[in-house]
Amino acid sequence: MAPSSNKPHAARRGQGIFLLLSSVSLLLAFPAAARAQQPADYFRQNCMSCHTIGGGRITGPDLKEVTQRKDRAWLTQFLQNPKVVMDSGDAYALQLQQEARGVVMPTVPGMTPDVARALLDFIDAESKLPKSQFAGLTITDRPFTSVDVAAGRNLFLGKRPLANGGPSCVSCHTLGTIGALGGGRLGPDLTRVYERLGGRKSVGTWLMAPATPTMQAVFRKTPLQSDEILPLLAAIEDAASKGRQADSSAQVNFFLLGFGGMMLGLAVLGTLWRGRFQAVRRPLVRGEERGAR
Amino acid sequence: MNVRSQISMVFHLDKCIGCHTCSIACKNIWTDRRGTEYMWWNNVETKPGTGFPTDWEDQEKYRGGWECRNGDLELKSTGKARTIFNIYHNPSMPTLDDYYEPWTYDYQHLFNAPEGPDQPTARPISMVTGELIQIEAGPNWDDDLGGSPVYAQNDPNLKGLTPDQQQQLFAVERLVFFYFPRICNHCLNPACVAACPSGALYKRGEDGIVLVDQKRCRGWRACIAACPYKKMFYNWNTGKSEKCILCFPRVETGQAPACFHSCVGRIRYLGVLLYDASRIEELAKRPDEELVEAHRALILDPSDPEVIAAARASGMHDSVIETAQQSPVYRFVKEWKIALPPHIEYRTLPMLFYVPPMSPVMSNKTNGAIEHVSEELFHDIDDARVPMKFLANLFGAGHEAKVRYALRKQKAVRWYRRALTVGDVEMSVAQRMLTEADCSPEEADAIYRLTSLCTFDDRFVIPPSHREEAIQMMQDPLEHKQDTGFGFLSGPHRGM
Repeated sequence: MAPSSNKPHAARRGQGIFLLLSSVSLLLAFPAAARAQQPADYFRQNCMSCHTIGGGRITGPDLKEVTQRKDRAWLTQFLQNPKVVMDSGDAYALQLQQEARGVVMPTVPGMTPDVARALLDFIDAESKLPKSQFAGLTITDRPFTSVDVAAGRNLFLGKRPLANGGPSCVSCHTLGTIGALGGGRLGPDLTRVYERLGGRKSVGTWLMAPATPTMQAVFRKTPLQSDEILPLLAAIEDAASKGRQADSSAQVNFFLLGFGGMMLGLAVLGTLWRGRFQAVRRPLVRGEERGAR
Repeated sequence: MNVRSQISMVFHLDKCIGCHTCSIACKNIWTDRRGTEYMWWNNVETKPGTGFPTDWEDQEKYRGGWECRNGDLELKSTGKARTIFNIYHNPSMPTLDDYYEPWTYDYQHLFNAPEGPDQPTARPISMVTGELIQIEAGPNWDDDLGGSPVYAQNDPNLKGLTPDQQQQLFAVERLVFFYFPRICNHCLNPACVAACPSGALYKRGEDGIVLVDQKRCRGWRACIAACPYKKMFYNWNTGKSEKCILCFPRVETGQAPACFHSCVGRIRYLGVLLYDASRIEELAKRPDEELVEAHRALILDPSDPEVIAAARASGMHDSVIETAQQSPVYRFVKEWKIALPPHIEYRTLPMLFYVPPMSPVMSNKTNGAIEHVSEELFHDIDDARVPMKFLANLFGAGHEAKVRYALRKQKAVRWYRRALTVGDVEMSVAQRMLTEADCSPEEADAIYRLTSLCTFDDRFVIPPSHREEAIQMMQDPLEHKQDTGFGFLSGPHRGM
């Protein structure tokens, strides 16, 4: 009896949880006033790494007075899914892509027409301010010293842990100057990252608030500190100036090392167990034939 | 005293003609299935020769059997630590090539071959892979010294023979060989049982037959490395180990095992021995030269009232004790002492005994004429063509005394019978030889009768299995009393 009565009971409990969750989500959804304040946070999380408002182009264009450059309907549509608009052959979209040296704007998580409209309103409002809070990072233009580069390398390699506890860059990225084996291969090689993202300012901004889902998930709770960004940029610039891309040779080296290690291991095991039983009849017959000759 | 019964065997090598009927009888009954093609639970080897699998007696290579280490009996092939470190690659495992790759022939080709300039042939096909193969060896490749000198000269039993003796053994004029049929020895101290990590192997309490529980076997194959006689086989199809089962379904119904039943030379004897299980470990640790005697000491006299009382106390049926008293094996092994265990130095205490073979005396070739070194062509034991040392390596752990005793007694019986029936030998000489060989005329007569005139019932004294009693352990025979009535396995019901 007991097992058969279990199922409906579980289902009832499931229903209860569903009711509870839906009421909570309704509570969260209703206060529109609270949601209205969110575009600033939304912009900080999702847009800031590529765009400024009145701070000039970084990876993406400056969004100051963007609504005067293009109509709101187009912008709303573009925000929903940038890639679809570009693929449709829209001339303006293609021009944007060209200006960004081929970088395609990613689809932003949680973007709905409502959010897009709120976001455009927010950008309009910020454009009217003399200096927007998103005017972009001011990063010094001074040339980096070897001290900066050394500190950056230490941070990149994790010899000095990041202050907020984030994982060091080398876990996922590699750089031309960090040795033959290179670093992680999960993320892209950062030696030429300046070319991709467009200079010191863009990369610095990116490091303030990384925008890809992977980086976001890792660094949202453990962001880089501003005094860590500068040395890292120094290390990246240093690698770019030395010009060696870690790529192909490191991969070959890594393969060769693994292969060599395996062969060495096999040789050691083969020597250790050279006396093992392998065969009786064939060696016996072969030995006799050799002896006869 | 812990008295147990064991169905034991004697193979009389002086009578073996090497016809392989036993092997074929066994193969046709038990190992004609997929995965067992290469197995020969019964095989007949030519000695000197390397046998099946090749060179199985070389325990330096195969590491089978037991050894005395620090006063303890330990398996050569494995131990707890070795098992763990080698669990995925059991060492000392014969390869298929060391047995042989079983084959058949492409007979259909004889009928289906397209017309061509040559006769079609039936080419050999591997029974394992189904591919055409080049036959390199077979289970009996060195039969009648066919593989000489490659195989015969590698016989491990040639150890300790002088180079001169070895050379003489293979000189064409003195060429000699004898046959050595082998089945599982159903040992008292089986290494296979001890080595099994799954506990799948067991020695039956009632008759000592060693069996593999096919449900418990996990295919670790430790038994195959551990058995020094290499009579454990791995079925590559089922992934389980298999071995000679001494035809227990036949034995349980009072029939001799197939290889025994079919033996043309009537070399095989089967009967019950009573032994003292409490002394096995102690006696198996004795030094090599004492082992044959120690093994005999384990076997108890079934007519001794003390032994009978102890046997009854351990639950043995009276009928088993009676068959033990008539056992031909007991007479060969314990009374006459002319049957010896093979390679007792492996310390598994085999329960299959061999009567060592006689061989003609050596001869010399001078100016094309063959002269025998002794006038007594068949009777000069130390000048026999098969060197005593060779037989001692096989049946006496390298020590000649027990083998010489057995051969001398056989020789004396021959002379005695010759004096009686042919008359070209002085009876007084024959009597003296009997006395020297520790044999009375009555004993000589008994040996002669059991060797030459033995009937089926003399050779096979099979104990009743009392299956009617055994079945009561599983089922209640009165279960259906007052229930189903005659002729029904399940109760009758009303209606259609």
